[in-house]
Parts: sequence; structure tokens; C-alpha cells
Amino acid sequence: MKFRSEHYIQLLINEAFQYRKTVVGLFIFINLSLLALGLSWPKLYTASTTILIEDKKIIQPLMQGAAVATEVADRARVFKDVIFGRKNMGRIIEAAGWLKNDPSPTEQEQITEGVIRRTKITNIGTDLIKIEYMDVDAERAYKTTKNYADLFIAESLAAKAAESKAAFDFIEQQADVYHQKLTKAEEQLKEFRSENLETRPGSDADIGSRLSALQQKIEQSTDELKDLEIKKKSIEGQLSGEAEVATVLSREGQYRARIAELQSQLDTLRLSYHDTYPDIIRIKHQIEDLNDAIAADRKNREAAKAAGKITIDESVINNPMYQQLRRDLSQVKINIDTQAARVAEAKRDLQREIDLGKRVHGGEAALAELTRDYQVNRDIYQDLQRRREAARVSMNLDKERQGLNIKIEEPAVLPLQPSGIQFIHFILAGFFLSIAVPVGLLYAKIELDPRVINGSSITDKCKLPLLAEVPHLWSPRETEEVQRGLTWQYLLIIGTVVGIAVIASVNTVNVLSQ
Amino acid sequence: MSKIEKALNKARTAGMLQVMSPAEPIAAGQAQFSNPETLSTGKTIAPTLEQRAISTGAISRMREDGLLGKDILVQNGIIYPEAGENATVRAFREIRTKILQKTGGRNGTIMVTSVTRHGGGSFVALNLGVAFAFDAGKTAMVVDCNFSNPTLQNLFGSRKNRGLTDYLEKSDIDVSEIIHPVGIERLRVVPSGGRREISAEYFTSFKMKSFLDSVARRYAERFIILDAPPMTETADTRILADLCDYALLIVPYGKVTEQQIIASAKAIGEKKLIGVVFNNNTRPPNVRWRKIFTNPFGILFRRRAYRIPKK
Repeated sequence: MKFRSEHYIQLLINEAFQYRKTVVGLFIFINLSLLALGLSWPKLYTASTTILIEDKKIIQPLMQGAAVATEVADRARVFKDVIFGRKNMGRIIEAAGWLKNDPSPTEQEQITEGVIRRTKITNIGTDLIKIEYMDVDAERAYKTTKNYADLFIAESLAAKAAESKAAFDFIEQQADVYHQKLTKAEEQLKEFRSENLETRPGSDADIGSRLSALQQKIEQSTDELKDLEIKKKSIEGQLSGEAEVATVLSREGQYRARIAELQSQLDTLRLSYHDTYPDIIRIKHQIEDLNDAIAADRKNREAAKAAGKITIDESVINNPMYQQLRRDLSQVKINIDTQAARVAEAKRDLQREIDLGKRVHGGEAALAELTRDYQVNRDIYQDLQRRREAARVSMNLDKERQGLNIKIEEPAVLPLQPSGIQFIHFILAGFFLSIAVPVGLLYAKIELDPRVINGSSITDKCKLPLLAEVPHLWSPRETEEVQRGLTWQYLLIIGTVVGIAVIASVNTVNVLSQ
Repeated sequence: MSKIEKALNKARTAGMLQVMSPAEPIAAGQAQFSNPETLSTGKTIAPTLEQRAISTGAISRMREDGLLGKDILVQNGIIYPEAGENATVRAFREIRTKILQKTGGRNGTIMVTSVTRHGGGSFVALNLGVAFAFDAGKTAMVVDCNFSNPTLQNLFGSRKNRGLTDYLEKSDIDVSEIIHPVGIERLRVVPSGGRREISAEYFTSFKMKSFLDSVARRYAERFIILDAPPMTETADTRILADLCDYALLIVPYGKVTEQQIIASAKAIGEKKLIGVVFNNNTRPPNVRWRKIFTNPFGILFRRRAYRIPKK
């Protein structure tokens, strides 16, 4: 802002007056230019159609969880994806008659691009899409729009059906694969079970209890065995001591008792008889024999002792204590053997049970794995089977066209009125520009011209005393000439406006009467 | 003109004597009588009211014949007092008042120069003279110093008059011979005479200086206005500025930049520059818009009321 705002109006008026011919010329030129542009502007016809895509139908809640309805989110984008492909656009432009003159591939490409550019697709709400197509030919606009809608519906349904069919095929194939897997797992499980009979549920616990019983038995038996050993040792000790003492005492004692008895008989006889009495001699001989027998026995025993032999004589065998101990000893020996045999047996059993336990453990791991495989496969297979049925229903839905309700809500009609920038818009733009452009130019001149056009610049910027601002001295003749000039310019402006108004109304009448 | 008169005139231009012009014998006499200080000091001073009365009487006796009609005046871009509400007239009155305020009522030599060519310097100079002459007690003389592009000559039509260059060049021409009435009361004009391209030698001449002194002294209430060439066109204007008491700078609409104005003001000098006049020639005249809108054909087919007047 070079000046204070109140100066601008006056400056604009001054400048407009100074360049009044240019301003009027610009006004007329801009108006006529836009009139000509408006007359020559191609009339564009727009045909539109609305397609309703509704996939939330009664069937969906009924099939909730079982069948999955294909989602159609951004329908305008889906439309573009479906239709603006080369194949479909080829069909569109062919149906609209673009290819009558047999255009080259490059031209075809340009035509296609042009058609796409003039096509407008908008989402109206969630379920409606509006297709608009603009063309200089009303008939072609109508045809193209109609083809768009038809093609879109056909393609959408086909795409949906194909999609659900593909889904079903895939799930079915997967189901088959899992079926095979499941059968194989079952086979393996059966085979394993028949091979490992002992491996059944609970056998592990049995083995455990058996093992503990066996161990207990072994311990018990071992303890008993130890007891028996001790007993055996003690009996043997007793037996050996008892036998030796009994032998010495009994035979020598018998001999000595006999000798004593014989001595007493001798003594008695000697009292009555002389030594030469036969009985005394016999008794003497008997005593001598007995002494000899004692000496011989001692000799034998020492010899046996030296040789390590136990000499048993008739008097020993007949020792009842010895007999008793011998019986006990043999009994203990028998018991020891029995216990030892029992322990050995129990140990063998234990080892067998341990081996069995090991085997059962290994078998159980294998069984668990096989069972897991089997269960996983079974679960997946069952799930797939459910899914396959759901997919089958979805496929049938799409086949029966129940899943997606797509229909033309508002069919395309032949456009009668041209759309886009109308003739009247050019006229209005002409009026607006013819005023705005000169004013803008004058404003720019005021703003950009460095030359002084306002007295305030002299005082404000040059800091010089301004005595007065002298306006031009208009003579009556000059005033009259200016007035005439302004009248002419006024008439020119009025003439232009009226002329444009007449042309515009004629044009409108023509359009309406077509 | 007798030989005696010529001799007297020569003496007067040399600054020695004040001699009455034959066109204004009584007024000159009164001036001589009423201006003793002027003679002694050679400078203009503010006249007393008494002196002014005498001077006014002398001025009122100036011989005015063949006054121009308003139509002719206005066609030639000259204001007249009766058009009081005219914006241009008001502007010139304002300028005149402000100059009188600044000069303290003293008469003097005022140089009017435009910043650039076609800046309206001559228009302002002439009309400023006219504005001074509005007052019955004052007189003005406009001297055309724009030798290369003289304009005041137009006032005389095809009539060829002797001017300043003639006076400066030739010794046998009396001052009174170059001072001409133009049909406006109390206004005298000195045309430039022949067209001259180089004006510096004229401005620097002693004769020029003495001429200005003598015409200033003739009437205590006379304002000498010099229509000088534009500032940006020739350096001679600066020489002329030295000869003057005051200078007035004309800024035309949309022709010069602020820098040019500042440069011109600097060239004149702060002391001499009495002020700037903005010559805004773009303001539209008072046309009858209503008639244009309601009856445009009436305007177009009406006979022209104003004929081109003969000068």
C-alpha cells in the first residue's frame, strides 16, 4: 500500500478517466472475446447413472459365521479397478463407436485416456456409486454411461463368483490334503499299538508298584539272610565246641568209671582173696586194658588233631546236644539257601520290571507323538471340513446372486442439456473480467509506478512544502468534448451489454428449442 | 519614442534612474515617489498601508484596453476571478495567499519552473500572475524566460511582439517596448522574443539582472513571475534561480519520480524554494452524468455551444 486507503478511490477515478478509452476498449474487448469463446465452446453432455451395491442382505445374518460375504469397501476405487483396464475400456470405446474410423493403436490409447479423463466416479454414501461421463455427443455420452454400468455389474458378479469359487476350491484341496494326513496318522497309531501291547495307559503305574514291592521283598529277604548267616555261624561255633568236649569227657570218663568200678571190685576181692585169686587177676587185666584203651584213644585223638580230622566215636554220635545242634544247623543252611534263592529271584524280577518300565516309557513318548499328530490333523481336518461347507454355501450364494445385490438404481438417460461451463458462465465471466481486469491494471499501475501521482507524496516522502494541488482548468468546450466522449463510451458500453444480452437470449432460446 | 526617452530608459535599466514608461506614466511616477527605500537599498521591501494606497491608486490608473472575454480566457487556460468556485481558481488563490504569507506581503521575483517538460510551468506561471492581478491593489508581470520553448507568445496570437531576447540583444530597445498588456487587468507580459536554444548567456548578463531589478521596482505591489525552463531540461534554470527572490517548483501528475523532485528542489536551493505545486491535470471535469445516462443522444446531437474562439 503506497498510499492511504482513502486516496485509492480518487486515484483510481483519476487514472480511469485518464485512460478512459483504454478502459472502455478493454471492457468491450474482454466481453466480446468471452462471448466468442462462449459461442465456440464445445457443448458437453453429461450422462450419469447410479449403481446400488448392497451386500448386507437377509442372508448374511442367517449365515453369520458360516459364510463370509465378500467386502466391497471403496466402491469407486473398485469400479476404477474393474472398468479402467485395457480389456474393459476396449469394449467401452468399441461399443460407443469410437473405433468406426479404425484408429491406430496410439489414437486408441489417446481415445481411451480421454474417455477415462471425462469419466467421474463418486461414492454416494456407502452403497451407491455415481458414474458420470461427459462427451460432446449426447448419444455417445448416454451409451458409454450405460455400458459402464452394465459392464461393471457383470464384472462385479463374475469377479465375486470367481473369487468364492476359488476360495472353495482351495479349501477343498486343503481338506483333501489333511484327510490323507489324518488317515496316515491313524494307520501309524494302529501299527504302534499292535506292536507295543504292554504299552497301554496305566502300565507305568503298575510297573512302579511292582518295582517297589520287589525292592521291599529283596530288602526283607536280604535282612533275613543276614540273620540266618549269623545264626548259622553261632550254631557252627556251638557245634564244634560241643562235640569236642563231649568226646573227651565221655570215652575217657567211661573208661575211668569202669576202671574205678573194677578197682572197687578188686579192692573188695583183695579183702577176701589173694592177688592170685583168678577174679583178682581178671580184674587187674581188665583195668590194664582200660588204661591201654585210654592211652590208645588219646593217641588217636592227638594224631587226628595233628591231621585235622575230627574223630568221632560211637560215644560222640550219641551226644544229644550235638545232634540237636546238627539238626538246627542243617535247618539254618536250608533257610539260607532258600532266602538266597528268593533274593536272586526277586532281583531278576526287579531287573525285568526295570527293563519293562524303560520300554514302556519309550513307547509312551512315541505314542504321545503319534496321538498328537493324529489329533492335530483331525482338528484341522474337521475345521477344514466345516470351512469347506461354508465356502460351498458362499459359492452357492454368489452363484445364486444372493450375496451381493448390485443393480442400477438410476439408469442412464440421454442428456438433453449440455453440462459443464455454460454459455451464460462465459457471459458472466466476461462482465466480471471486463470490470476486474481494467481496475486491476489501474491498481497495479498506481501501486507499481514510481512516478508521483499524489500530492501527499511530495509532503510525505520528499518533505517539501506543497502549496496547492492545481487541477486542470477545464474550459466549457473541453468539458463538452469530454462529455461527448464519455457519452460515446457510455453508448458503446451499453451497446456491448445489450448486444451480448440479445445474443445470449437468442442462444438460450435456440438451446431450449432444440 | 523620443531620443530623450530612450536615454532615460537606458539609464533606468542600468539601475541609476527610475523612469516612467510611456504606457504607464502616472503609475511610474507614483512608484518613484512611493519607493524611496527601493532606490536606496535596491531591494524590495514590504510596503506600508499608506504606500499601498498610493500604489493602488497608481495601479488603478494603468491603461487597460481590449480586455479579453471570459470565454477566450478560459479557452486559453487562464483563470478569471468570477469563476470563484472553480477548483483551479481556488487552487491559484491558495497558492497566491501562501506565497504572500511566506513573503510577508513583499513583492518579489518568483521563478516558476517545472520538474520536467510539459509539466505545466507556463500554465502555473501565467495563472499565478493572473491570480496576483485579481487583487485591484496588485499587479503582476509574467516574463517568459523559456527561450527554447516559449509559450506566452501564444497569448498574442499571430501578432509579433518584441520580447526579452530582443531587449537583451539589442541596446536600442527600451524596457517598455517589451512589456505588453495581454487583455487581462493589471497583468503585463514579457514574451521571450525570438526562439533561442542557449539561454545561459542571457541569464548571466548584467542587463538581465538590471532588467529584473528595474521591473521589480516599478511598482511596490508588482510581482514578477518568471516562466523558467524545466529543471531537468537545462542547467540554465539554476542561473535564473540565483536572480530571483523565490522559486516555485511544479510537479506534474505521473511524470516524475520522487527522486527527481528532490534533486530539483536541491538544485534550486532550500532558501529560494517557496513551495511545490502539484499540477494534477487528471481530475475529470464536472460533466453532467445524469444527462449522459438519461439522454445520451441529446448530448451527441446538440450543436456545440462553444466555437473555437479566435485569439
